[in-house]
Amino acid sequence: MVEITRSFEIEVDIIDDDHRRLVDSINEIIQALNNEQFELCAQLVPDFVDLSKQHFRREESLLAKYDYPQTDNHIKHHASLDDKMETMLALATKVADSPPAAEALRKELIFFMMDDIINEDMDFKSFMVNATAGKA
Amino acid sequence: MDGLHMVGIEHAYGNTNVLNNVSLTVPAGELVCLLGPSGCGKTTLLRIAGGMEKLQAGTVTIDEEIVAEPGHQLPPEDRKIGYMFQDYALFPHLTIIDNVTFGLFRMDKAEAVKRAMEMLDLVGMAQHAAKHPHMLSGGQQQRIALARALAPKPRLVLLDEPFSGLDTNMRAKIREETLMILKHTNVATMMVTHDPEEAMFMADRIKVMGDNGKVLQSGRPADIYYKPVDEYVARLFGPMNHIDGIVHNGAIGSSFGDIKTDDAENGQAVRLLIRPEGVVLHDGKGTDGGTPVDVVSAHLLGDSSIVRCSLREGANKGAEFQVRIAGAFDAAAMGQVHAHVDPRHTFVYPHDKQ
Ligand SMILES: [Fe+2]
Ligand SMILES: [Fe+2]
Repeated sequence: MVEITRSFEIEVDIIDDDHRRLVDSINEIIQALNNEQFELCAQLVPDFVDLSKQHFRREESLLAKYDYPQTDNHIKHHASLDDKMETMLALATKVADSPPAAEALRKELIFFMMDDIINEDMDFKSFMVNATAGKA
Repeated sequence: MDGLHMVGIEHAYGNTNVLNNVSLTVPAGELVCLLGPSGCGKTTLLRIAGGMEKLQAGTVTIDEEIVAEPGHQLPPEDRKIGYMFQDYALFPHLTIIDNVTFGLFRMDKAEAVKRAMEMLDLVGMAQHAAKHPHMLSGGQQQRIALARALAPKPRLVLLDEPFSGLDTNMRAKIREETLMILKHTNVATMMVTHDPEEAMFMADRIKVMGDNGKVLQSGRPADIYYKPVDEYVARLFGPMNHIDGIVHNGAIGSSFGDIKTDDAENGQAVRLLIRPEGVVLHDGKGTDGGTPVDVVSAHLLGDSSIVRCSLREGANKGAEFQVRIAGAFDAAAMGQVHAHVDPRHTFVYPHDKQ
C-alpha cells in the first residue's frame, strides 16, 4: 500500500488533499491487481488518469494565482507525463492476460505518484507554503 | 512509506553546485538507478543518503525515519544501510565468515554466525566461509560483498558502480544474481552507474542526471530508451545518425522519405535522430522499395553487426550513416542493398542552427 506520510506532504492543503485522493485511487487499483480483479482494474486506471489530469489543472491554476515564478516549467512537467499516462492506460488493458503487464502497472503507478507527481511538486513547496500562509 | 525518500537535496563543493534541488523516492523492493557522467552529482547523492557526505540542504528519510536534515545527521552506522562498491573492500586479513559477521556486532556471536551463513548460502558461497578474500575470484568476492551488505537486514542498499571491476562475462552473471537476490530480499536499492546498459538491466526506474546536477529524465528503462526527453538522453545509448531539417506538413523530409513527427510544429528547425538499429537493410524487393545504399564496411560484434552505408543517389549522395543489424551482414545474400527507417527508433528535437 502507498501512503502519504509526513515527508511526502507539500503542506498546502488543497494539493495534499488531491494527492491523498490520488493515492487512495492507486491503492484501490493495487488492491484490484492483488485480488486479480482485472476488469475492475481496467476500469479504475482511466479514472485515476482523469483524476490526475484534474489535479494538474487545479495545481496549475493555484501556482498561477500565487505567481509562482516557475509555473510554466511545472505546466510543462505535467504535460510531459502524458506519455506515462498513456502507458498506464495501455497496461491496464493487458493486465488480465499478462502478469508482467500487471507488475509493470503496479510499479509505474507507485513511481508516477511518488516521484513524478509528489517529488516534482517539492520544487514549489517552500514558495507555496510561504505564499499561502494565512491566506488559505 | 517504506524505502528511501530524499527531498530538495542541494549540494555544493565551494562555489560549484553539484546537486540542484533533487528529490527522489526508492520504494521498498524497488531498484532506482542514477545514471550519468562522472561529475553529475550521482555519487554525491548516494553518499548523502548513506551519511558519508554531510547534508547541506534537504531531508533524507528511510522507512519514515528522518536520518538527515539540516542540523541533524544520523551517523552512517545507525542508518541500517548495506553498501556494495566497486572495490568490494573486504578485509584481507579476515576470513569470509568474519567479513560477513563484521557488521553484525549488535548480535551475539552465535546468532551472527548463523545469519552470516544464511547470507553466504543465499549468494552460493557457504562452502568458502573459512577462506580468505585473496583465495577468491573478483566475482566471488563481489558475492561476499553482497552477503555482507545484506546480513544486517538493511532498510536500504547502496550500490556504487558495483560491477565495473569485473570482466564482461562475470559482470553479466554477477549483476543478474545480485538483482535476483535484491528482489528476493525486498529491500530498497539505489544504484549509481555511468553504464546505460547496466542501468537498463537493473533498474525499475532510471533517473538520468546531467552535468548541472539536475535530473533530466525519470522513468522506466523503456521510457528512457524509447522516449528520451532530449538529444543528450537519446545519445546515452550510443552513436546516433542525425538529419537536420525543417518540419513541413507534420513531417521531416529525408533521404529515407518523409518522416512524420508530432513533436514539432510546421516551419520549426529540428534535428531528427535515428538509432543505428532504427535503419532496416533489405534487398528492396518488398512493396516499399526503400532507399538504395552502398555498404562501406561491416563489422561483426558478436550477436550484432555495425554496417556503415552511404546513400547511392539523390541530393545527399555519398552521405554516410550507421546501421545495427542482428547477426552477421551477408552481402552476397542481400544483393542490391536498400534501407528504410523504423519510426520507433527516431526522435525529433528542436534544433537551433549554430
Ligand atoms: Fe501535485
Ligand atoms: Fe505537480
